[in-house]
Amino acid sequence: MKRFYLIGFTLLLAFDTVNLLCFKAAGMHALPLEMSMAWLLRVFSHPWVYGAIAGYIGAFVTWMSLLKHAPIGPAFAASHLEVVTAMALSWWVFAEPVSITQIVGAGVIVAGIICLAFAEGSEDTAGRIVPG
Amino acid sequence: MHGLALALLIAYVVLDTAGQLVFKAVASDGRAGDGLARWRYMLARPWIWVGIGCYVAVFLVWIAFLSLVPLSEGVLLGALNIVAIMVAGRILFHERLTPLRVTGILLVAAGVAIVGAGS
Repeated sequence: MKRFYLIGFTLLLAFDTVNLLCFKAAGMHALPLEMSMAWLLRVFSHPWVYGAIAGYIGAFVTWMSLLKHAPIGPAFAASHLEVVTAMALSWWVFAEPVSITQIVGAGVIVAGIICLAFAEGSEDTAGRIVPG
Repeated sequence: MHGLALALLIAYVVLDTAGQLVFKAVASDGRAGDGLARWRYMLARPWIWVGIGCYVAVFLVWIAFLSLVPLSEGVLLGALNIVAIMVAGRILFHERLTPLRVTGILLVAAGVAIVGAGS
């Protein structure tokens, strides 16, 4: 079960990140933003938007596979690791500013996910196959 | 908070929670089997489409909400959702809330709120 969660959440994070990066790139390529057909055509004429859609589908398939066993409460919380990677990538790839408060928040999210990982670890030693 | 913004906030939490609960119910259906057969079974459930409908609606509500409140307040919604889904999972799926689980979930929710406040 630990391996199942590790692979599942890593895949989910990867798809979410691909989705986010492609969305951002698609938006940047379609500038200026306007509520018009021309803008929509610009969005869909670049390959980026299809990467974003592929990311969505991949994340959905992974999420439904995870939920076969994972309890929804902890799993939904753990999926927010995406917030941390999104922050790191926006700073690294797109050179967007990140505040000290945001770094503290990211640290708190990671601490929470470490707690959840330990919680599932102790479920395993208790001999229960399906938590929840 | 503006009345309309409050209505959108409630709609957001309710729709997102409902969508996740439906996904969980479909995904943990024991009759679904494995592999491709599982997907054929799941995609034939009307409920999974209700869940996908919730997702699309949440997306639209979110955009409408963000046009009324600053992004930092909008992100707080994400934190609220995490707690709502934890409580709903406890009630509907009898998920055990051990102290370590609750601590982890509340820390993630707090972290999301802090990231929002810092943006």
